[in-house]
Amino acid sequence: MTAWLRRRQGLPPAWLILASVIPFALVALPILYVAVQGYQAGIAGILSNLIRPYTLNLLLNTLTIAVSVTILSGLIAVAAAWGTERCDLPGRRWWRLSVALPLAIPAYVSSFAWSSLGPWFQEIQGAILILTFYSVPLVYLPVVAALRSLDPNFEDVARSLGHGRWRTFRRVVLPQIAPALGGSALLVAAHMLAEFGALSFLRVETFTTAIFDQYTAEFNNQAAALLSGVLMLICLPVAFAEAKMRNRRRVARIARGSARAIVPIALGRLTPLVVLGFVTLTILSFGVPAVTLCFWVVQGHSAGQGLERVLPALMNSVGYALPGAALTTLAAIPLVIATTHFRGRFALLCDRLPYVVHGLPGIVVALAAVAVAIGFLPAVYQTTGLVLLVYVVLFLPLAQSSVRASAELVPRELSDVARSLGKSPFQAFLLATLPNLLPGIGAALALTALQLMRELTATLLLAPAGVVTLATEFWNYTSDRAYGAAAPFAAMLVLISGVPVYIFTMRTLRLNDAR
Amino acid sequence: MTKFNRRIVLQGGIALAGAAMVGGLARRAQAATALTLYNGQHRATTEALVAAFTKSTGIQVTMRNAESPELAAQIAEEGARSPADVFFSEQSPPIASLQEKGLLGQIDPATLKLIPAKYNSKDGTWIGASVRTRVVTYNKKMISPADLPKSIMDFGTAALDGKFGYVKQDGFQEQVMAIVHIKGRDAALAWLKGLKQYGRSYNGNRIASTAVENGEIAMALSNDYYWYSLAKEKGPETLNSALYSFPGDDAGNIFNVSAAGMLKSSQNQAVAQRFLAFMLTAEGQEAMIQTTAEYPVLAGLTSPYNLPPLSGFTAPVSPADMGSASDAYALEREAGLI
Repeated sequence: MTAWLRRRQGLPPAWLILASVIPFALVALPILYVAVQGYQAGIAGILSNLIRPYTLNLLLNTLTIAVSVTILSGLIAVAAAWGTERCDLPGRRWWRLSVALPLAIPAYVSSFAWSSLGPWFQEIQGAILILTFYSVPLVYLPVVAALRSLDPNFEDVARSLGHGRWRTFRRVVLPQIAPALGGSALLVAAHMLAEFGALSFLRVETFTTAIFDQYTAEFNNQAAALLSGVLMLICLPVAFAEAKMRNRRRVARIARGSARAIVPIALGRLTPLVVLGFVTLTILSFGVPAVTLCFWVVQGHSAGQGLERVLPALMNSVGYALPGAALTTLAAIPLVIATTHFRGRFALLCDRLPYVVHGLPGIVVALAAVAVAIGFLPAVYQTTGLVLLVYVVLFLPLAQSSVRASAELVPRELSDVARSLGKSPFQAFLLATLPNLLPGIGAALALTALQLMRELTATLLLAPAGVVTLATEFWNYTSDRAYGAAAPFAAMLVLISGVPVYIFTMRTLRLNDAR
Repeated sequence: MTKFNRRIVLQGGIALAGAAMVGGLARRAQAATALTLYNGQHRATTEALVAAFTKSTGIQVTMRNAESPELAAQIAEEGARSPADVFFSEQSPPIASLQEKGLLGQIDPATLKLIPAKYNSKDGTWIGASVRTRVVTYNKKMISPADLPKSIMDFGTAALDGKFGYVKQDGFQEQVMAIVHIKGRDAALAWLKGLKQYGRSYNGNRIASTAVENGEIAMALSNDYYWYSLAKEKGPETLNSALYSFPGDDAGNIFNVSAAGMLKSSQNQAVAQRFLAFMLTAEGQEAMIQTTAEYPVLAGLTSPYNLPPLSGFTAPVSPADMGSASDAYALEREAGLI
């Protein structure tokens, strides 16, 4: 037991262990479900089903999409972040917003928009393109937050030692933004493994679409669970490799200090080219889907149907997303603190497991919740509380990576100082560590709330009967092909999603101005 | 001072989130309604049906809407403790999968007799509620009606290489089973292999019929209502695509049904039986066919959607013959299609 809890600098306090065990247990449930179901399916028979050209092809597609999207969106995001934070780009404030803006558009909306442009976009290259543009903000925002909290003195030292700009970036900046970059890239990778909504408009088959086939064509919950197990196995090395890469470095510093203002790099003649790059990015990632949405409203014969539901759906979307985001962030904090400040194998396991589960399709997690709730707690089945708990399981990693980006920069010694002044461990956390996590917590709330507002499967299967959200209404009308009627719900979803995106972006702006 | 305030805010936030959680868990089943319906059929259609039922009987109905196969998976997972009384599925295979798992109760014989037996399950555990047909959607600019294939079996031959799309869901399994019933297993296997070799697979019927409409592909195997819903959205006169069915008793001329049944575990079987019976009354049928381009199962009613007569669809297989159609899955696997 002590070996499990062993870490570099003393045992984590009891409250932290307790607080980490709750999300750990929640996340472990779908894994247990998959294991039990897979076992019942009889592994031998299924293995022979798995090992055939078709599934190998699925595996190839899944990995191609996950790897390409992660790398491409990482490159674009870091370049964009460098452009808006470190270069004298005209209108930086607006470009920041415009890079973050596509976050407000659900993947299935942009996927539908792109796929209607022609068959090329329905193949795997189209999927990579669509999902890359969709993922860029997910990496961009944490990287920007990390870039802003860097102490430029490190870079000055590197430059004074004769390092060039590129070398300084690689040896000083990159290691410091690595937690944010690695965390969000991992998030994108895990998300791509589970992506279904966007792909359903395209002609690409992945492991996740095959899992849905097991439900829709064979009605075989067990076989589907076993396929999900394979998907988790793919997630496993990704989740731990990222942690391993990150754990070697310590990038905390005591205070923001009196860092000098950053002198932006003069772009000079490159300016028009860089601006063109940002314009293209905005058109591709935001313009195309936004124009398509407007087109639906004007074109669709069904426009105007169900308008009376827009307001209740909006209220429900917000009413589920906000407490869901709060709970998810709350669950993420102890996991992050346990790994960043104490380390140890058990902490690492608690911290990584949510990423593995994030690679599961929503239907698998939702059915796991059905099985557990019906079997052990029938009183909570199909209540708001259960949906919120499932949201935590589904979206925990989003909150974790945002909180971690802040936590990595907070030295553990801060809480030691508080302890030496006679505070209890929990008080020390509240007084010394938590206030420094606030930027990350704000980001976590915004990102989680965004994703929760478009969650569909768990809401449909587990919310109290009759609950309509913007996402369920959008699904309802598009599945009946009434795009005109669906458009107001999608537009409202985009508009309301814009709020957290805007708040988050402006907030990081203000932080910078104060410095 | 600011630290103190921050702490209050944080603690308050934690307490609020906790309270929301507990409140959510406690807000259980206050609205105990008379009938719980899991609905996979088009929501507007079922809402019209439910409104007519409530108006006629005064009984309230609580609906849970999702895709039919997901609801079937959910009911299978819930087992005997399912809160559902009635399941209304967009297609018959999801409900047949529950029939095969023994989760459905017997429907009143009087209800079953209201419509032709070919629409119902053989053991009387589910009823057909509305009918649509399997068709070919084709692009009028890309292929002339005279050149259209004469049989479903022509698909999957080199003659149609690159000219057609197919969708491995929503009606496809039934199509495979129909070919197995009429032409035999080997023919079905060869047909599937041909599809894989010469056709283009789409991830959904809607996407495939849009591809035909946009001229990306000349033909697609589909259900008819996808074209009718497109016609409704864009106006039929503006469409580039049209529907075609094969001449004579072809294995491609099959119909499929939306289907409903009562859960064996229902605590509310009398009301569930009443609801199922109501679905097959003129009133219930009228509510459904007004809102979706599907044929009624009850004789003597006409759809307002200008559907061609159903008389050509005489293939000697019924939805009940196809069951959950999961056998088709094994065949597709053998053909390398999945």
